[in-house]
Amino acid sequence: MRYFASMAAGFVGALLLAAVVPAQAEKALNVGMAAADLGSLDPHRTATTPDKAIIGWMFNGLVRFKPGTMNPEAIEPDLAQSWDASPDQLTWTFHLRKGVQCNNGYGELGADDVVFSLKRASDPKISSFSSDYADVASIEAPDAATVQLKFKRRPPSVLGILTNYQGGNIVCKKAMEKLGDDFRTKAVGTGPFAVESYTPNQSVTLVANKSYFRGAPKIDRIVYRYIPSDATRDLAYSSGEIDLLYGRQDQVWVERMKSLPHTVVDVFGPGELSDINLNITKKPLDDLRVRQAMAYGVNRADLVKFKGALTAREAVSIIPHDYLGTDERAPLYPYNPAKAKQLLMAAGYPDGVKITVIQTSLPSMLNTMQIVQAQLKKVGIDLQLEVVDHPTFHAQIRKDLSMAVMYAAARLPVADVYLTQFFHSRSIVGTPTAVTNFSHCGVADQEIDGARQTADLAKQKALWKEAQDKLITEVCAVPLYEQLQVWAHRDKLDYGYKLDASLTLGPIINEQSTLQ
Amino acid sequence: MLPYIVKRLLVAVPTLLAVLTVVFFFVRIAPGDPALIILGDQASPQALAAVRHELGLDQPMAVQYVDFMSMVLKGDLGTSLVTHRSVWGEVANVLPYTIELTLSALVIGVVIGLPLGVAAARHRNEALDYAARLFSLVGLSFPAFVSGIMLLLAFAIELHWFPVISEGRPGDPLSRVSALVLPAVNLGLIMVAYVMRVTRSSMLGVLGEDYIRTARSKGVPARVVIWRHALGNAMIPVVTVVGLYLGVLIGNSVLTEIVFNRPGLGKLIVNSLNQRDYTMLEGLMVIYAFFIVIANLLTDLTYGLVDPRVSQR
Repeated sequence: MRYFASMAAGFVGALLLAAVVPAQAEKALNVGMAAADLGSLDPHRTATTPDKAIIGWMFNGLVRFKPGTMNPEAIEPDLAQSWDASPDQLTWTFHLRKGVQCNNGYGELGADDVVFSLKRASDPKISSFSSDYADVASIEAPDAATVQLKFKRRPPSVLGILTNYQGGNIVCKKAMEKLGDDFRTKAVGTGPFAVESYTPNQSVTLVANKSYFRGAPKIDRIVYRYIPSDATRDLAYSSGEIDLLYGRQDQVWVERMKSLPHTVVDVFGPGELSDINLNITKKPLDDLRVRQAMAYGVNRADLVKFKGALTAREAVSIIPHDYLGTDERAPLYPYNPAKAKQLLMAAGYPDGVKITVIQTSLPSMLNTMQIVQAQLKKVGIDLQLEVVDHPTFHAQIRKDLSMAVMYAAARLPVADVYLTQFFHSRSIVGTPTAVTNFSHCGVADQEIDGARQTADLAKQKALWKEAQDKLITEVCAVPLYEQLQVWAHRDKLDYGYKLDASLTLGPIINEQSTLQ
Repeated sequence: MLPYIVKRLLVAVPTLLAVLTVVFFFVRIAPGDPALIILGDQASPQALAAVRHELGLDQPMAVQYVDFMSMVLKGDLGTSLVTHRSVWGEVANVLPYTIELTLSALVIGVVIGLPLGVAAARHRNEALDYAARLFSLVGLSFPAFVSGIMLLLAFAIELHWFPVISEGRPGDPLSRVSALVLPAVNLGLIMVAYVMRVTRSSMLGVLGEDYIRTARSKGVPARVVIWRHALGNAMIPVVTVVGLYLGVLIGNSVLTEIVFNRPGLGKLIVNSLNQRDYTMLEGLMVIYAFFIVIANLLTDLTYGLVDPRVSQR
C-alpha cells in the first residue's frame, strides 16, 4: 500500500513538474507560398519556383553552392568529400562522405544511389534537365564510396551540374523504387528536412532530419502552405499565421513590408533576366535595321524606374549579370529614339511596322510588355499584344506563333547554359533538340561550342564575351531588366548565413537556421 | 414521389453526358500542353513526348474521347494528369469543404434574408425597408473577393477572432468551425441579398391580395396574417431563387475559397485550369453539372412542400 502511495505521489509529482516546466516548445516554421498546390517534390521533374524552393531544403548534391551564394567558382563539398579530375578533365572521380543517411529510414546513401540519381537526371525520357547532362558518357561506381563520371566532351561546368540544383539533387534509389509514382509527394533525399505529410491543395509538412550529416536542424518542422492569393498571403503574415512568405516582386510591396515591425525583407539573386527574343526569320524582323530600331527604342532605365529600383536592375548583357562569363559591359544599344526612327525609315518603313506578339497574362510580365509597347510606339513600332493565359503562351511560343517572345529566366550561373538554351541553333524551338531558342539565331554557335572545347577559363570567358557581342550586334534579343527574388520573414527567423543569392529562388533553410 | 425522383435523375443522365462531351472538347481545344507544365521549360522534346505518351495525349482526339467516355460510363472519372491520383479521390478530399461552405451560406441567406424581406415588405417605404434594400444592393454589388478581404481585415487582423487561412486543422472540429465562419458569412451575404429582395417583392404582391385584406378585416392578428397567410403563398418564388442561386453560390465559392485559402472544388478547378489538367477539369465539370441537376430537383421537390398543389402533377 505504501509502495502504491509513494508511486502515486511520484506520479502526481511528475505530472506537476511536467505542468510547471513545459517541454521545449516545438519550433515550427510556417511558410506561405504563391501557388495553389504542389507540382512535384521529385527534383528531376520539377519546373516551378514553388517546388524548387521547398526541394532546396530536402536534398544534397555531390557538391553545393555555399548557402546564400551562387558563385560557380566557389562550389564546396556536399555529399562528396573530395574529388579529382584527369588531366584532360574528361574523367572526374568523387569520394563520398561516409555515414550519410537517406531520410525516412531508407538506409545509408551509397555510390549506387548517386549513380542511379545522376543517370535518372540525364535520362531524356524522365528528367526535365537531361540537356544539362548531354556530354556525360558514363556514370559508374568503382566501389561503394566512389563515383566516377566520364564525359564525351567537357561540359561548361562539371561541378555546376553536380550541385544541389535541379538534376544534381541526389535522390535515394530504394525510396524511388519503392514509392514509384508516390515519389512525387513523398520524395526522399538526404537533406536537413524530410517529408512528413502532404495535404493536397493545402500544405506540405517537413520534419527535421535529426541525423543530418552536418548536424540536427534547430527548426523542428516546416509547414509549407499553398496560398495563391497575394492579398491573403500578406494578411496571413500580418495575423501571425505564417513567418516566411514569398513576396510580390514590386517596389510598393517591399516598401510596405519594410515598414512592418520585426520584419526583414530579402531581396536576392539570381536576377531573372527578361529578354524580348526576336524571330529573325519573320518579316519585318528579318531586317537587321528593324531589330536595331527596336533595340534603340527600348528605354531600360525607365523600365527599371517603373519596376522599382529595390527589386529590379537594368540588363547588362543578353544573358544575366553575375554569371560566370557574363560580359558586364556588353555593348548594348543605348536608348536613342531618333536613331530608331531613322533605321525604320532606312529599312523602308516610313510609316512604322506592326509586330504581333503573343503575351502571357501574368501581370508582372504583361505590365512590362505594355511599357515596352508604349516606348516602341513612339518610334513607330506597333507591338500588337495578343494576351493569352500562361499555359497557352508557353504552348504557342514553342510553335513559333509569336514574332517576338518576352521570356524571363534564370539558369545555372554559367554563361554557356543561358547562351546554349536561348541562342544556340541546336535549341531552336520546333527542332528535335529544342529548348528555348525563339529567335532562330545561330550566329554565335562557333563561340559557344568553342568555349566548351577548352579547359582554360580565360579563353572560355573571351569566347563567351565574343558570343554575347555577336548576339547583341545581331539583335537576336532585346535585353530589358532583371527581376530579383523577393521574400520576407519575421526577424525571429535567422537563416544562419548571409542571403545574397539562391538558385532555388527561395531562402535555404538548413541546420544553421534558427527560429526563436 | 420515388418514381418521380428516379425519372428526374434518369433524365439528368443525357444532360451530364452532353456536358461531358462539350467539356471534353473545349478543354482540349484550349491551347496549352500539360506535358510542358509538368516538366517545365527546360525539358527536352523527348521527355515531353514521353509524358504525352504516358498521358495518352498523343492519341487521336476521337480515340481519347471514346476511351474517356467508356471509362466514365463505368463510373470512373480517371486519374488527374498532374497528380496521378484518382479524380474521385481528389474531389472527395475537398468536397466536404465546399458542401459545408455552400450549405452554411445557404442557411445564413435564408435565416437572415427571409425575415428581412418580410420586414421590409411590411414596413414598405419606411426606414427599415430602405435600410434593407440598401443592404441588399451593397451585398449584390460587392465582389466576393473584396468583401472577403474586408471581413479578414476586420475579424482576423484587427480583432483576431478568426484565422486568415480558413482551412482548419485536421482532427480538430472546433478549428474547422472557426475557419468556416468568415467564408460562410462572406458567401452568405450574397445569398441574404438575393433572398431578401425576392421575399420582399413576392410578399408585397401577396399582401395586396383580397384574402389578406379579408383576414385583416376579420381581426386576425397581424403576425398571423404575415407569417401564415401571406408568407406561405409568397414562398414559391423564394424557393425558386434559392434553388437557382444554389448553383450561383457554388460558382461564387470559387472566389471565396481563394480569398480565404480554403480547400474546395473552386480552388481545385482554377488550379486544374492553370495546369491544363484535362481529366480533373472534366471530372469537376461533371460534378458541377450534377450539383446543378440535384439543386433543381430539390427545388422542385420543395415546391410540393410549400404548395401541396404542385406535387399532385
